[in-house]
Amino acid sequence: MKSDDKSIRWVEEPPLGLAGRSYLPLLVGGMTTTLKHLVGPKMTVESPEQRHAIVDPLGYRGVHRLNRDAQGRVKCVACFLCATACPAHCIDIQAAESPWPDREKYPESFTIDELRCIFCGMCEEACPVDAIELTSLYDLSGKSREEMIFDKAKLLSVYDQTKDAEPMRSAQADLAADAARPDSGRRGEEPT
Amino acid sequence: MYLVIESLIKIVVIIGGLMGAAAYLVLVERRVAAWIQDRRGPNRVGIPLTEIRLFGLGQPIADGVKFIFKEEFVPGHVDRLLYVAAPMVMFIAAIVLFAAIPFGTVDLGIAGWAPINLVVAPGLDVGIIYIFAVSSIAVYGVLLGSWASNNKYAFFGGVRSAAQLISYEIPLGVAILGVVLATGSLRLEAIVEAQAATGVWNVATQPLGLLVFLVASFAESGRLPFDLAESEQELVGGFHTEYSGIKLMMYLVAEYLHMIAGSFLIVLLFFGGWHFWGLTGDGPVAGIGVALVRIAVFLAKVLAVILFFMIARWSWPRFRFDQLMGLAWKVMLPLGLVNLVAVAVWIEYLRTPLVAAGLPEGLVMAVAGWLLLGVAGLAATAAAPSARDNRPDRSLVARYRDAREAR
Amino acid sequence: MPTIVSIVLGALGMWLLLPRPSLRGRLAGAALAAAAAGLLAGQLPGLAAALDQALFSILAAVTVASAAAAVSLKNPVYCAIWFAMTVLGTAGLFLLQGAQFLAVATIVVYAGAIVVTFLFVLMLAEPGARAAYDRLSWEAMLSAVGGAMLIGVLSTVVGGLLAGGPAGAAAARGEAELAAGVLQDGHVAALGRAMFTDYWIAVQAGGLLLLAALVGAAAIVSGGRSPAAPEADPRPPEDQPPAEEH
Repeated sequence: MKSDDKSIRWVEEPPLGLAGRSYLPLLVGGMTTTLKHLVGPKMTVESPEQRHAIVDPLGYRGVHRLNRDAQGRVKCVACFLCATACPAHCIDIQAAESPWPDREKYPESFTIDELRCIFCGMCEEACPVDAIELTSLYDLSGKSREEMIFDKAKLLSVYDQTKDAEPMRSAQADLAADAARPDSGRRGEEPT
Repeated sequence: MYLVIESLIKIVVIIGGLMGAAAYLVLVERRVAAWIQDRRGPNRVGIPLTEIRLFGLGQPIADGVKFIFKEEFVPGHVDRLLYVAAPMVMFIAAIVLFAAIPFGTVDLGIAGWAPINLVVAPGLDVGIIYIFAVSSIAVYGVLLGSWASNNKYAFFGGVRSAAQLISYEIPLGVAILGVVLATGSLRLEAIVEAQAATGVWNVATQPLGLLVFLVASFAESGRLPFDLAESEQELVGGFHTEYSGIKLMMYLVAEYLHMIAGSFLIVLLFFGGWHFWGLTGDGPVAGIGVALVRIAVFLAKVLAVILFFMIARWSWPRFRFDQLMGLAWKVMLPLGLVNLVAVAVWIEYLRTPLVAAGLPEGLVMAVAGWLLLGVAGLAATAAAPSARDNRPDRSLVARYRDAREAR
Repeated sequence: MPTIVSIVLGALGMWLLLPRPSLRGRLAGAALAAAAAGLLAGQLPGLAAALDQALFSILAAVTVASAAAAVSLKNPVYCAIWFAMTVLGTAGLFLLQGAQFLAVATIVVYAGAIVVTFLFVLMLAEPGARAAYDRLSWEAMLSAVGGAMLIGVLSTVVGGLLAGGPAGAAAARGEAELAAGVLQDGHVAALGRAMFTDYWIAVQAGGLLLLAALVGAAAIVSGGRSPAAPEADPRPPEDQPPAEEH
């Protein structure tokens, strides 16, 4: 298409008026905005003392936890779906024969390298039994790399810490089903 | 001999004060910038090894220690001699400038002691031109540093900066001349004393001169909206791209000192220096108490101007280079000349008959000055090249939407 | 009085400096002793004159050396910097003679504007400064001879003035004038008055010269074209939008 094509409609920016050319309204406008913000409310959250208010803790993707069932056993059935789904390959599971009658396998060891994890939440999506979930704990830190590799005991202890503030998602889904909300399909809900 | 000791004390006080002021003004600037961006700014560093925070007053010390202990990396491709010398030139020029800044004259009241003139170089008869001359040396720091860095971004920054500094020196000088002509002296003390004696600050009588001087001193100190020499978005860091550690600190402190010097000059030339009605008296010599009040008033005014510099930084976008040059040569220089001619005409032809006619001189001058500002500003605006309004135009958007829906 | 103070200070400093069982305060002692020595030296007759002389010698040496460097170095950027140094040295010499305005004006005009423009052009034109025409002198012999002749003429004339020849009387009168007013406080006003009364023709002629140069520069830059040549519009005329009201 050439510049003299008939189908092109040329649009020009309008010329600046006298006031615009004197820069004055623009200067005053800029200064007004600045002064408004100078005295306006501040957004900073003074982090260790103040905490971010996480609007939706269940939707937040923070540190992982391994959920326990009603008898306090690990819910995981060592199906490897989370490890397969993980794009960062940070989940390592050693499966063993289950000592309990209600399932075939359980994880003898379950480790997540929190430094490799990208907190995408795919493991949570993949899990068929709602065993692995992401909590709303976000200030994860440690003094060594080894410290940041979470084993089964640690992941279960994260559950113990957070179970009151953030109940398991399956329980949430039940509640939602009770309320018969049509859009109760949260992330991490069991697919069936 | 006492003169030497007196001078040494003054030098120590002013250099110490300047270094402290520069360090803490950086903190002030960071806090102000943070507030403008709805943040809080550095408020953590207080006394080391304790929990005491002192609103972040320890931050400048931490910054300084960080700068000093940073690796001083000298790239292999630089011109060694000039690379090392350039920041020093800039730093020295920025400090020496303050030798001519007067803080008033104090009479200690001790018999046999002459009143002390609180300025490092009291015998300087050319005060304001001396400052002008020394600040023009600072261009070397920028130009040589950028050239010695042997880096194209640094070089662009240096070339831009040199052109900008040379161009804006002319409106700056013309604006100063208006004040000098009205006072009849180049000495800053005399300029302040003249304003104090009449009680009419030059801002009332020469607002046009203030406008030109303000814009030019923004440009001379290289701060936004005129910071093309180091515009981070285009030139990495401009002329100090290749600098690090203490050399970089010298550049940054020197730039700060230029801003402080500009603020001092604005206050001295246009806002009455240490004078404030009913608070400081109006004679040239003061006792200790009054002298302290004067210094406090003076520093408060300077701080106010510096705060204006800092707030302006976040208010207005950077100029384009052709706009910058056009502003200097086509707008500020003519406006400055108009101001100068008006002052000359006033002194030569109008003052005597008007005062003889019994009119209050200050009032007439103020009315005339603001009228001149209005007329000259309007003329400059009307003569400005027509530009396009490229702000998003809501009505246009609506029009196109309507047209599309109609189709 | 200062003598007594300095002697007392010196004694105190010496006591602190001498090796005693405890070595504390030696630094303070050194500082005190230095201060005392300075104070005492200040009492010496003729010190001010000697300092003046020394300052003059240093400034003169710096000026001459940097002038030599300015013409003899190969890198044009360094030449320009040494030229600036020469200007600064000259300004220092002016200042030493009490000619504040002259000193400061020299810095503003030469060091602050002209040499910076030189540097600017040099760096823009040949950033590396490696071209042969930048590094070599064009007429080495002619320049040397011309410079030598200029120095010869000048020193003969100045020497004649100092010796009190026919021009000596005029020089003496000039010095009397200097002593009378030009170096006093407010010498800028005296200088200005002189420039715009006694020497106004010279000032106007200089102004005219600069104006001519400015006009010439503008003519060269515009290249004979009319400065307000309208830019060609790429669009066919019927497509140009009417001036939109806004």
